[in-house]
Amino acid sequence: MAAAGRPVRYFCTAGRGLEPFVAREARARLGAAQVEQAQGKVFFSARARLRDLRALRAAERLFLLVRRRPPLLLFLLLLGRMVHEIQQLVIEEPSSWLETVSRWKNLHDDEIKKENLVPQKRRSEEEINITAKKQKKEKLIEADSEEHQMEEQKKCVVPEGNNNEDSLTGRKIFLEDAPETSKDKSVESNNHSFTFRVSCRCSGAVSKVFTSQEVGRMIGVTLLKQFGWKADLRNPDLEIFVHLNDEYSVVGIPVFRLPLSNREYIKTAGLRSTIAWAMASLAEISAGAFVLDPMCGLGTILLEAAKEWPNVHYLGTDISDSQLQGACKNVKAADLMDKIELLKASVIALPLPSESIDVVISDVPFGKKFTITKDIKLVPDILREMERVLHVGGTVVLLLSQDPHKYVDGPIANYVENDASVNITTDDTNKTVIATDSNPREENGNPQSISSSNKNMEREPHNDKMKCFGSLVLVDSHGVSLGKTNAFICKYKKMPTSGVNSILK
Amino acid sequence: MKLLTHNLLTSHVRGLRPGGGYPLGIQATEVKLSPVDFNAQFVARMVPKVQWAALLQAAQSLGHGSDLPPEPAPGYESDEDFLRRLHHVLLEVEVVEGILRCPDSGHEFPITKGIPNMLLAEEET
Repeated sequence: MAAAGRPVRYFCTAGRGLEPFVAREARARLGAAQVEQAQGKVFFSARARLRDLRALRAAERLFLLVRRRPPLLLFLLLLGRMVHEIQQLVIEEPSSWLETVSRWKNLHDDEIKKENLVPQKRRSEEEINITAKKQKKEKLIEADSEEHQMEEQKKCVVPEGNNNEDSLTGRKIFLEDAPETSKDKSVESNNHSFTFRVSCRCSGAVSKVFTSQEVGRMIGVTLLKQFGWKADLRNPDLEIFVHLNDEYSVVGIPVFRLPLSNREYIKTAGLRSTIAWAMASLAEISAGAFVLDPMCGLGTILLEAAKEWPNVHYLGTDISDSQLQGACKNVKAADLMDKIELLKASVIALPLPSESIDVVISDVPFGKKFTITKDIKLVPDILREMERVLHVGGTVVLLLSQDPHKYVDGPIANYVENDASVNITTDDTNKTVIATDSNPREENGNPQSISSSNKNMEREPHNDKMKCFGSLVLVDSHGVSLGKTNAFICKYKKMPTSGVNSILK
Repeated sequence: MKLLTHNLLTSHVRGLRPGGGYPLGIQATEVKLSPVDFNAQFVARMVPKVQWAALLQAAQSLGHGSDLPPEPAPGYESDEDFLRRLHHVLLEVEVVEGILRCPDSGHEFPITKGIPNMLLAEEET
């Protein structure tokens, strides 16, 4: 797992809520140290080969860290100072830039040698020669922004002049640069010059002062002046990722062109692959287990699990022909036909004997995606069947959207047998208090202090809504973002029935 | 459908006596043999998990009954010959087209393109 040399600092972008999973995975897979979680990012140091880095499953993208600085909040009122700080991201410690770029090169050179991608390298060198010969200097910058409320989604490229790359929409920006000095710099700093593209994301306070495009432009100009690297929108050698928000200013170079979350082995994605993997990682899948997804859809969860934990028999069931066909194609494309079998069956009437399955993992759909029409009322039936087919000691991991999750913790909890004295209906609290005057749990038996004993009683229901469903006990829960909505990954364990009663007492 | 999966399947037709829906009889019109990488540990782990009598019955109905002993012998974990034969029956024999029959009710569940349809009429959408 560990390659030779000094540890390198990386960071991953991660869907909100998945940061702990990325951190855990980086430690386990890469022996990562100095792991730091921030919102949407995980920073770590590791000595790892490209193929080990590529194996990360919970992360969106992986970057080599060029620079991390405190957020630009302090300089909000001093525009000139802000510009200076942004430029400093490039100018300060040029060696860190050069080191990171050469690390990136090293990682990819090994890869390129193996994959015989030499022709691609030659092409980019030719492009550099062509641009160097031109009289006018042009720069193309792409400001890349994702779904942040503060940002606009525009491509900032100016169409002007005779450049063979003007097939793209947009405008190009001219710079006043002395060709000689930049060439000298490039000779000093590199074997050959790189082309780059800046992808910039600004959110929080900074975005009120500058747009992503403006920051991207500043960085690009400074890079050209500092290192003589030229910009190339269409096919750059190097992508430079800049993220400025209220927590940090970060600059990184993506290690791979495509996000890690794009799985080459998944033909048609259903659930987000990173979330599917995270769910499987909680499910305690051991060798020789039987794992079931009773609402498998396109099979994403089973695919992620089977790739990671292969010595297991996986079963996917679904009620829809079209979903099963999609799942079948996915399983074939991923070459997992030996491990994943599909059935057409209903989640509320599974054709499996009781206590025959070790692990149940499922995305419990609601809202527009939901195919069963009776919606939330079916959740108890679904859970009941899952509980039935599961071995005692088995694990259930579900992805629940907010509403059903509340429902499961709420009225469903009454499915558990409660002590009569504790079973409280919320409408007639006063009556209940009087009736259970002699309840030993009440701290203050004094009938005068009804208000405080009210409080006691009100607290009791929360304690007794032990997040139980029959013999399924909630042992872990993670809020995650699904993009536009939020959801919860909930992990349940099937306890022996005597165990559940002792928890309640 | 592999025989390892078949070993897990039961009929859930209503009103059956307990255990009356297992094991499902197989009537295959198309069977395929596909090579699967042999993993001795995995196969050994399957031995305590499968219902042996049901497995024998299923294997016999597909013409592979003679591959397996009436019971797994003690020390099977290190008997590679046995494990390989079990591996073959559990994972390499696939029913592509056919019918699964509930023993008590006679209800038939079709298998199409390797995928059994276990839905009862009222469950169909």
